[in-house]
Amino acid sequence: MNTLKRYLRLYRVLVSQFLKTIMQSKVDFLMGLLGFFFTQIMGIAFLYLVFEQIPSLQGWSLNQLIFIYGFAQIPRGIDHLFTDNIWMIAWRIVINGDFDRYMLRPMNLFFQVIAEKLQPDALGELLVGTLLLIYSLSKGIVIVDALHIGLFLVSIFAGAIIYTSIKLFFASIAFWVKISGPFLQVAYEMADFAKYPTEIYARAIRFIITWIIPFAFVAYLPASFFLKETVSGWIIGIECLIALVFWCIAYALFKKGTSIYESAGN
Amino acid sequence: MIDVKHISKDFVSPKKYPGLSGAIKGLFSREKVIKNAVNDISFHIDKGEIVGYIGSNGAGKSTTIKMMTGILNPTSGECIANGINPSKDRKANAKNIGVVFGQRTQLWWDLPLNESFTILKEIYNVSDEDYTERMKFLNEVLDLEEFMDRPVRTLSLGQRMRGDLGAALLHNPKVLYLDEPTIGLDLVVKDNIRKAIKKINEMYETTIILTTHDIGDIEELCNRIIIIDKGRKIYDGSLEKLKDIYGSKRKISIEVKPDDSLRTFSLSSKLNISPEECITEYDEKSYTLHVTFDKHQIQTPDILSAIMEMADVKDVVIQETDLAEIVKEIYVTVQAGLAHSAVQDRKRN
Repeated sequence: MNTLKRYLRLYRVLVSQFLKTIMQSKVDFLMGLLGFFFTQIMGIAFLYLVFEQIPSLQGWSLNQLIFIYGFAQIPRGIDHLFTDNIWMIAWRIVINGDFDRYMLRPMNLFFQVIAEKLQPDALGELLVGTLLLIYSLSKGIVIVDALHIGLFLVSIFAGAIIYTSIKLFFASIAFWVKISGPFLQVAYEMADFAKYPTEIYARAIRFIITWIIPFAFVAYLPASFFLKETVSGWIIGIECLIALVFWCIAYALFKKGTSIYESAGN
Repeated sequence: MIDVKHISKDFVSPKKYPGLSGAIKGLFSREKVIKNAVNDISFHIDKGEIVGYIGSNGAGKSTTIKMMTGILNPTSGECIANGINPSKDRKANAKNIGVVFGQRTQLWWDLPLNESFTILKEIYNVSDEDYTERMKFLNEVLDLEEFMDRPVRTLSLGQRMRGDLGAALLHNPKVLYLDEPTIGLDLVVKDNIRKAIKKINEMYETTIILTTHDIGDIEELCNRIIIIDKGRKIYDGSLEKLKDIYGSKRKISIEVKPDDSLRTFSLSSKLNISPEECITEYDEKSYTLHVTFDKHQIQTPDILSAIMEMADVKDVVIQETDLAEIVKEIYVTVQAGLAHSAVQDRKRN
């Protein structure tokens, strides 16, 4: 309990330092914010144009598609907001030896990596996701009661863990190959498939995103539970199990990686 | 305090071949190159010692320090510091140590220096009282106040190094590791940093291990030095002993009034010793005689009186061999020794 308290306190301290850093340069910060809003507005406009052309897809109505799309954005946004610094393991901090700094401090290594940065861009994904969800809810296509809201929150949390685990897994390969950014990039881009019903893809891709890199479980499959009576609530249970297993594998690989970390010469 | 036992570190990397075709060949080859960076090094360091850890570039200094601080896991052997094995219990060890890498700052680059101290206070759980007391001391020895509120990236190298040293000491570590703490600094700053290190050692009995290429650091600070070369320990002992064994050579430069007879002058025949033991060179441009000799063989006054009989002496400079030369000499002897034993090995086979 004390450890948890200490880490929460440290998290607050480290994150507030990060926020101070990005606000040090006020112009940069404002420009970033402005750019971010433009990107999001463009994103929504693009979605509108696409969905306008598709009245229905493989038996899914436009409103249902919007729900799936919005649902997919939220776990992704949460993961993006809190753990974006994992990308740096894949691209930079292992090969240039900056990982030394984490090794010298009396704190958990994974905690240090994620506490170093928040990714404000993720607020855009969360905003768009929430807006799309609210819009599709207003059309009355899903049941809103305590059970469904509870399962919805559990599913979002588990989905974010799946994202983080996949990212951590591919980033940790950098401890062996020095730069694992390209692998991570490929794996992460698969996540885009999760925004649409998997039935529209070729069989091979469907297999990969369901059973190998299980992005289907972070959005499409749980979303179908909320949209269709025929899909059982157990799908959320399976999602949680996948999240747990993937997290254990990814974290074990990360731990193993830090033990063989080679630093860099001066 | 610190026990390093038969520690070794190998770096394994895939074999590389030259050229584009070589790069393709490398992709499919499973051949590995093993680089033995540290080879069976052992030593013991007591509380409060200041130990200089020296060697040429790539000798394995940083690798050893990285194993002692828990950054790298040794391939074999172990290191125990304060009863803790850093590669098994990294976090517990990290609480006991402070580390400064001269070429890499550990401060928060974009934030004012005092923010770094605030964060470190939280990370190391330093109490408010300890913090106030420690900051007062650090300000005294390192003069941090003048640039405390400036972002770290705007500090000069000397200021940054003082900041880094302060940051490494905030939690009063039992052991302080300094990897080239004075690299790139000017003489005045170097001197201040050395004084600060000395004071910290006296005040808190902090054990200090420092790697350096700067002989000045060693002469000013270290009561003991360990020299490594090609991953092996080649000397471990006091500075005096080192100078005694390897640094018995002295050099005297004597400026004289122009005199042609000095061109053929041989001091060794005059003193009745073999020419190798006393080498005399005459520089005609500056009218200076350089005499190199072994101080265990000949006394300085003997040489001086012999020369004064011969010529009009204007000025005399006596130089003690400096440590840089001694270290160079050790490298040469050790390498010759290694080559020698390698030849013997081959003969035996």
